[in-house]
Amino acid sequence: MKNKIKIFRAMHNLTQDHLAQAIGVNRQTILAIEKEKYVPSLDLAFKISRYFGVNIEEMFIFTEKTPTITET
Amino acid sequence: MKKNTFYFLVGCVALVLLLIFWYSIELHTSLFIELAFIIGVILIILARSKVTDRVDDERDIKITEQATIRTMQIFWIVFCLFSIGAVMELLHIPEFPRLSPSMHPPVILPPRLMGYIQLGLLSMMIFLYVGFRIYYAKKYGEFETDEE
Repeated sequence: MKNKIKIFRAMHNLTQDHLAQAIGVNRQTILAIEKEKYVPSLDLAFKISRYFGVNIEEMFIFTEKTPTITET
Repeated sequence: MKKNTFYFLVGCVALVLLLIFWYSIELHTSLFIELAFIIGVILIILARSKVTDRVDDERDIKITEQATIRTMQIFWIVFCLFSIGAVMELLHIPEFPRLSPSMHPPVILPPRLMGYIQLGLLSMMIFLYVGFRIYYAKKYGEFETDEE
């Protein structure tokens, strides 16, 4: 799962520590998500997206190809 | 309570438990160490809830969860192996006369050996847990370097 957290952080001039404190996680978790080592839960993904005031799909990009309902 | 104070307290509890363990061995009674172990665990749990500068987020929980699951999976296999053998000796099922004409007396495991086996199992569980914890912490980006 790709994400744009780093870009949004840079746009808002935020450090990983600031973002982590704001959404109630460890700084290492933000780093792990940014480096795509950890896929956040839906809850955390929504928290991050809402913190920057964007939709979840603007922040996280689901890369795996899954069949849609029209294809099946 | 600060995180470092908590770690210091855990160290003190471990040291006291070790001393009580020694004392229990001297007295040949396990009651002291068993009670002390329960009290020690309760004390650590209570102290952990008072730590203010520690955040247990979902990634930490996932690492702990995965390490625990994998440890238990391996532990169950080893424990069942040992238990099956012990139960077989306990039941002492008669052997088939055609296959083995000579009946030999059942091997009874001495308590000291049982203790060593349990110690081995306990040590194995601790090493497995620590190993899996390091593995999953690495997998979920715990040791990633930061360019900030």
